[in-house]
Amino acid sequence: MTRLLDIGLEKLRTMLLEMADLSETTVSTAIGLYSDQTNTPDEIFTRSEELRVLQDEISDLAVELLARFGPVASDLRHIKSYLEISYDLSRLGRYAYDISQVFGVFGDLSHCDTRAVEKSGKQAKKMIRVGIKAFMEADVDLAKTLRDMDNVVDNLYLEHVKKIAKEPGAGTDLRCTVAATLILRYIERIADHATYIGESVLYIMTGKRAVRT
Amino acid sequence: MSTIPAIDVQDLNIYYDKFQAIKSVSLKIPPNQVSAIIGPSGCGKSTLLRSFNRMNDLIPNARTQGKVLLKGESIYDGDVDVTDIRRRIGMVFQKPNPFPKSVFDNVAFGPRINGSKRNLGEVVEQALKQAALWEEVKGILKKNALELSGGQQQRLCIARALAVEPEILLMDEPCSALDPIATSRIEELIRSLKANYTIVIVTHNMQQAARVSDLTSVMMVGDSREGYLAEHGSTKRIFTNPRDSRTEDYIRGKIG
Repeated sequence: MTRLLDIGLEKLRTMLLEMADLSETTVSTAIGLYSDQTNTPDEIFTRSEELRVLQDEISDLAVELLARFGPVASDLRHIKSYLEISYDLSRLGRYAYDISQVFGVFGDLSHCDTRAVEKSGKQAKKMIRVGIKAFMEADVDLAKTLRDMDNVVDNLYLEHVKKIAKEPGAGTDLRCTVAATLILRYIERIADHATYIGESVLYIMTGKRAVRT
Repeated sequence: MSTIPAIDVQDLNIYYDKFQAIKSVSLKIPPNQVSAIIGPSGCGKSTLLRSFNRMNDLIPNARTQGKVLLKGESIYDGDVDVTDIRRRIGMVFQKPNPFPKSVFDNVAFGPRINGSKRNLGEVVEQALKQAALWEEVKGILKKNALELSGGQQQRLCIARALAVEPEILLMDEPCSALDPIATSRIEELIRSLKANYTIVIVTHNMQQAARVSDLTSVMMVGDSREGYLAEHGSTKRIFTNPRDSRTEDYIRGKIG
């Protein structure tokens, strides 16, 4: 027999997957502004607001389930993690909007060297997909791979910053350098939140918290 | 804090005739903690609780094997004074059961039959204060206890148990006959009493166990309907991350 709580948990899961789809495309669109400026920061802002509204709806339903059913054990861990993952996905939308604002301020950046940003963005988008897949399939091993993937994004950002620190005037175009710094930083944060989704999967399945180093 | 358990259950087996109600339970109840025993109907929660002060002795054909140590001393040895055991380990039952006597006489009953030389008025007042009932009854001590509300009657029974200065208080579904407000009062009382007493509570209300206890023991029913201990640990861990799949299913409402 289906428990009444299960109906609510399934609804939460469906809402979270809707958020996952929306956040993934929003991040992808924002990073793609380098080469395709069809979408505007306003459109990306609208999507990030949709994500925030979905996060509020998940939060409301989660609190209702807590109040109605007093869930425990893995039910409780699921609800706690749904709240945390919805926050992570909402932050993806916000960082996507931050990226889009860089293009709004700096305008056309198509002449800039985009290799680091493209590499970092590609890795971050892959991490979002992996995080969501690990969540959908309750795959702890897959979730654990996110930590190493995150190191790649971290290093790309760090190398970029170190390069600027070492040779402040090395860039041919200061606009390109500043824009890349900002975007790499936002992507680095996006990758962190994808990693946190993996940590939530670990918590749901094992009850253990990931140790952050 | 003492390292000796208040109650140490070692390989306990309890039978009613040929039926085994409890199988191989080993469990340590630490002092000055609230320990909850939960589990589905028929798993032997109450039988286990009653074994802690030999209340099962009153049931015909009940037979106990194994050991129950009260602060290191076996309570089932032949030379043990059962009356003394029951004074040291008080009990509160599911349904409030005050005697048809005055509020005062209910609380004074135990000290009187134990020949207490203490001032009875002081003993009654202290017990009623500990049971958080004094303010409500101090002006009606001569009133018949049966005229009190259900929640007041249950706190009176707790006061009656406390009046003989027990070391341990056993509670068998103490709130199942009470409304939510009375239940809340009893739960607050349980939390406050653990400073001075070791408390063991049997409850089928898992949220109550989660609210009031420090430790939780989960009993289950085996293939031959025997009760056994599936898991024991801190209440926080049991209710957030149980190790045993049977515990997980039971507390999530999947079985039972």
